[in-house]
Amino acid sequence: MKREHQQICGAAAAGGYGSSSGSKGESSSTNKGKLWGEDRDSGDMDELLGVLGYKVRSSDMADVAKKLEQLEMVMGTAQEGGISHLASDTVHYNPSDLSSWVQSMLTEFNSPATSNLDPVFPNSDSNSAKPRQQQIVGSNQSQVYNDDSEYDLRAIPGVAAYPQPKRIKTSGNDSSSSPTESSARPVVLVDLQEAGVQLVHTLMACAEAVQQENLKLADALVKHIGLLAASQAGAMRKVATCFAEALARRIYGVYPQDSLHPSYTDVLQMHFYETCPYLKFAHFTANQAILEAFATAKKVHVIDFGLKQGMQWPALMQALALRPDGPPAFRLTGIGPPQPDNTDALQQVGWKLAQLAETIGVEFEFRGFIANSLADIEPDMLGIRPPEVETLAVNSIFELHRLFAQPGVIEKVLCSIKTMKPKILTIVEEEANHNSPVFVDRFNEALHYYSSFFDSLEGSGVATPSQDLVMSELYLGRQICNVVACEGVERVERHETLAQWRTRMETSGFSPVHLGSNAYKQASMLLALFAGVDGYRVEENDGCLMLGWHTRPLIATSAWQLATAE
Amino acid sequence: MAQNHHRGCHRRNHQETVGETEEKRSKFFINDHADILIEILKRLDGRSLCVAASVCRLWCAIARNNSLWENLCFRNVSPPTSSVRSVVLALGGYKRLYVGCVRPVRSLLGRVRRASMARDEVQLSLSLFCVDYYERLGGRNSNGRLVGESSPSSLMFLCKPVNV
Repeated sequence: MKREHQQICGAAAAGGYGSSSGSKGESSSTNKGKLWGEDRDSGDMDELLGVLGYKVRSSDMADVAKKLEQLEMVMGTAQEGGISHLASDTVHYNPSDLSSWVQSMLTEFNSPATSNLDPVFPNSDSNSAKPRQQQIVGSNQSQVYNDDSEYDLRAIPGVAAYPQPKRIKTSGNDSSSSPTESSARPVVLVDLQEAGVQLVHTLMACAEAVQQENLKLADALVKHIGLLAASQAGAMRKVATCFAEALARRIYGVYPQDSLHPSYTDVLQMHFYETCPYLKFAHFTANQAILEAFATAKKVHVIDFGLKQGMQWPALMQALALRPDGPPAFRLTGIGPPQPDNTDALQQVGWKLAQLAETIGVEFEFRGFIANSLADIEPDMLGIRPPEVETLAVNSIFELHRLFAQPGVIEKVLCSIKTMKPKILTIVEEEANHNSPVFVDRFNEALHYYSSFFDSLEGSGVATPSQDLVMSELYLGRQICNVVACEGVERVERHETLAQWRTRMETSGFSPVHLGSNAYKQASMLLALFAGVDGYRVEENDGCLMLGWHTRPLIATSAWQLATAE
Repeated sequence: MAQNHHRGCHRRNHQETVGETEEKRSKFFINDHADILIEILKRLDGRSLCVAASVCRLWCAIARNNSLWENLCFRNVSPPTSSVRSVVLALGGYKRLYVGCVRPVRSLLGRVRRASMARDEVQLSLSLFCVDYYERLGGRNSNGRLVGESSPSSLMFLCKPVNV
């Protein structure tokens, strides 16, 4: 196969450029191919390059630039020793003719390289990278090896793991190949997708090595990941970097991460709140459920398991203020972690909320509880009044999963909630299983999950990388570090899927409350306001609402009430 | 309308200087009839209302009138209850609500508009408006930094260009 290709190379008009067009047989480049030999001497050369001694036709400039880019990337991702033959064995003809020289470099380079990659890294994209495919135009003739879904990165929605090379246009005759086909130009032999696939495989291999305690191999792989990640762009690069850092921490035993001042994590979360709709979705859907549960109650009480900056409550208070029969008396109990410098952050939030309440005319009372863990909270501490007097709602946004770090704690907390007798319990959790005891499973799940997450951040229409985006990525990066690098009590990001939560809640004595169409409508409208409207999806799942990016659900809101007594 | 006003003014001056012997016929001058002016301005859209506010001091004062902006917010929607008015006024007024929330929400959702969504749009705008007010409260947050100094604004996402 390789031989044939090189023969065609030689047979066509001088240099490799004409051959690619000839074998492609596409309309777009045939002209160039045919005329190339004739116009070679008469075409208009670019003047600036001409001064430097290079002969490049002005019309070819974009093309040559692309090829140079590919060449650079190929050289960057080459394995050790892979490019040394370029220095010794390759014969360079007429380097001043940049166009053909780059072409010959590319073809030279790829013929030995691809044979190494084949057995180790199965390629799920059939059409893009093999020289064998070159003569077959736009056909689907794929390798016999078909990847199983574990390696099929097309399962990762969006473009994070399977990026489309941005500037290479596909020609119209490409209808038979997949939409993520790199280009109609068979010249592209090693493309971004190949490197992306390699990157993911290396990450997984590293995780395997870590699980098998083969730390030397893991260390070498981590370094390689760093190189590969540098060749990627956008979301994939960031995800890979985060995971590489987390793996490195695990290998070298540098965990837990230095704990940040809680107010700084709050700042990170605030920026995360701005950049993407996840938190807003969580707040709005939970509020809607709480509002509906409160119905016409005259006194209401909300217990928030993670008050943070209290961003959820203004919207609820406003909705209560505009209730047809007037606002109820609203009591809020906020729980938060202790601050290192002993400032009472909870009280400050409570004060702000009180100001708002006064402005909009809602009777308001606030109480803050500082606790290291939710398990430390006893129901009688909270001053809960009987259900006939006051309607209670308990709210937990991304808090309950932390309780899995210690055995028995989650059961204790759920029991406490039951004794509080709330009318409704709203839970928002990440939709992923990051709590598997097997490290590799956890790692792979997290890789897919956070790839989608980062992809959504990337795709959310932020034109220039802003501070918000960076902060949001930091916020997620810390989660990744925790999932991958930490163990035992320190590993608090123990996410579980909605299905798992359902089972747990139902066995603990709760029954589901269906989130109504109002919540769905609000959520859809909210998402439509975000620039990346084409990616976000709201899904209704048996009464629960899930927000996802393309086909992958990322967070889920569910509401629960006490199962009616037997 | 602005041009008419200017022309009327001009004509009046001209007449007074040239034809002093002429009877001063009673001319209709819109500024004498603020209630009619308000009725007219009520029917303008947001941009025109802002333009009208730059015509003269009287128009500027009138254009700041909350009822005009309230009308804009609740156009095509059944009139709000009085509790809404007090809440909105307390949170910063209808002009702020319109410019900060209702208009961007409407333009961002413009593609998928249905008549039935108008009320939901306003409700969503109100919620976002309230969150924004809350964020601007306080002066200093727990870090001692002044709010507004590179702190995020919850309405920022409304300013991002829509990926059409």
